[in-house]
Amino acid sequence: MIGFRQKELSSVIEIDRKKCKGCDSCKAFCPTGAITGKYGAVHGVDNEKCLFCGQCLVNCPFGAPRDTADSVNAVIAKLKDSRAAVVGVIAPAVRVAIGEEFGLEPGTLTTEKLYGAMKQAGFKIFDNNFAADQCIMEEGSELIAKIRHYALGEPAHSHHLGPLPQFTSCCPAWVRHAELNYPEILPHLSSAKSPQQMAGALAKTYGARDVFKVEPENMYVVGIMPCTAKKFEASRPEFASAAAYWRKQGKTGLYPDVDTVLTTRDLARLLKKMNISLTAAAGFTDADNPLARYSGAGTIFGNTGGVMEAALRTAYFVITGQELATLEFASVRGLKGVKEASVAMKDAKTGKEITLKVAVVHGIKENLAPVVADVAAGKSPYHFIEVMNCPGGCVNGGGQPVNPMGTSWIDKYKAILPWS
Amino acid sequence: MANYDYVEKAIKVSRREFLGLAGAGAALLWAGAYVTTDIFVDRTKYIKLRAAGMYKDDAKAKIRQSHNNPAVAEMYGKFAGKPLSPLAEELFHTTYVNRAKLGGKS
Repeated sequence: MIGFRQKELSSVIEIDRKKCKGCDSCKAFCPTGAITGKYGAVHGVDNEKCLFCGQCLVNCPFGAPRDTADSVNAVIAKLKDSRAAVVGVIAPAVRVAIGEEFGLEPGTLTTEKLYGAMKQAGFKIFDNNFAADQCIMEEGSELIAKIRHYALGEPAHSHHLGPLPQFTSCCPAWVRHAELNYPEILPHLSSAKSPQQMAGALAKTYGARDVFKVEPENMYVVGIMPCTAKKFEASRPEFASAAAYWRKQGKTGLYPDVDTVLTTRDLARLLKKMNISLTAAAGFTDADNPLARYSGAGTIFGNTGGVMEAALRTAYFVITGQELATLEFASVRGLKGVKEASVAMKDAKTGKEITLKVAVVHGIKENLAPVVADVAAGKSPYHFIEVMNCPGGCVNGGGQPVNPMGTSWIDKYKAILPWS
Repeated sequence: MANYDYVEKAIKVSRREFLGLAGAGAALLWAGAYVTTDIFVDRTKYIKLRAAGMYKDDAKAKIRQSHNNPAVAEMYGKFAGKPLSPLAEELFHTTYVNRAKLGGKS
């Protein structure tokens, strides 16, 4: 396998030879052309090109692609193990989709039921929305340091500053895409980890010490994600910073920050296997757990434009010293392929005017290339660019409940024309 | 106008042929309707409903900005100091690899 490091998952999606009809539907959704096999022949996945985004899986009319990284039984075994403290890191987009697996309408908010069902299963809760808020603090501070340095002419911060524009780094499929196909723009990626990995590192340090009060080596952190690419992300070897932190404090042990990842579908399967019904579960708010507290900005990370909107709310406050009068940014919401916004603000420190220009890209198969080409050529007009692999963002991720008609029909005509 | 003889060709369609033609016409109409509805019907329902759920969660939240989340502030106060502090760099930041240069056996 070219392009993988030790311990990294090198395959997540596999196409079932018996179910594949060779209809080429998946090719209309695959962002990197990783599907092999001509029209009519049984298709396969080229793992060296695959981003593990799972868009083929959620759009195949025959249900042929499968997610092979299945850890449902391993997690159930850990939940039954009394020595293990199993922490479920719940991503934003899971709460609006898992209800579909239990007969609820798409979009039904199930946060409290989901906490309740997971508590019943034996999970401790770490809401990834908390980590999303934290991600805004880290990624936003990095962006503001860059703006202060490059646009307002202040001396550089101690943090190593990459060039502007800054790309978001929350989407593991986008990060892998950049690493594989656009290595020249890697310095533009925010150095902030994705919320899942921040959550893992924080859970096994601060969480273990101050919140859950367990030994970090006994913790088993499970990402509950709308995403198949998160399974790959969790397996990246550098994401073992909690263990490195504790080694400096004299403890021993080698463990990853996030031990395993379940998709929304996997979690529904786990609950059903344990005879827990989401709809019948008692609601639970986990009010005493600081790691289950989140802001509205953290929750909209699941939508395209959500990370940007959350970042703008905080960046505006940090630069101007005032809260935004209107928190909603309609221009970064919705399903347009590339969305733009510009926000004029006055720096409270220096009194200089600055117009922050941002762009939001989702559905990278159709919309990414021109934006990245501009950045590579050094003529991008933006300061901050959000990229999400899946059309619509994480709510339509490859780990979400599957609708037989497919869920990614934004450029519908392209998918039904035989030559596309 | 030039003189010419024109005799309309007598078309005789048998009952069986008529049914065949009608069938072919119906199939064409049906296929056309299928394709056009496929283009115009809104099939982004799932994305829109789920996205609306997320925005609803935001709209009903008491705290709507990340920097106002007291639990995050508490975490920085008790543990990581402030964003981009040395400990935050160590735990919350990462680097990327140029996979084109990684090589390996194919």
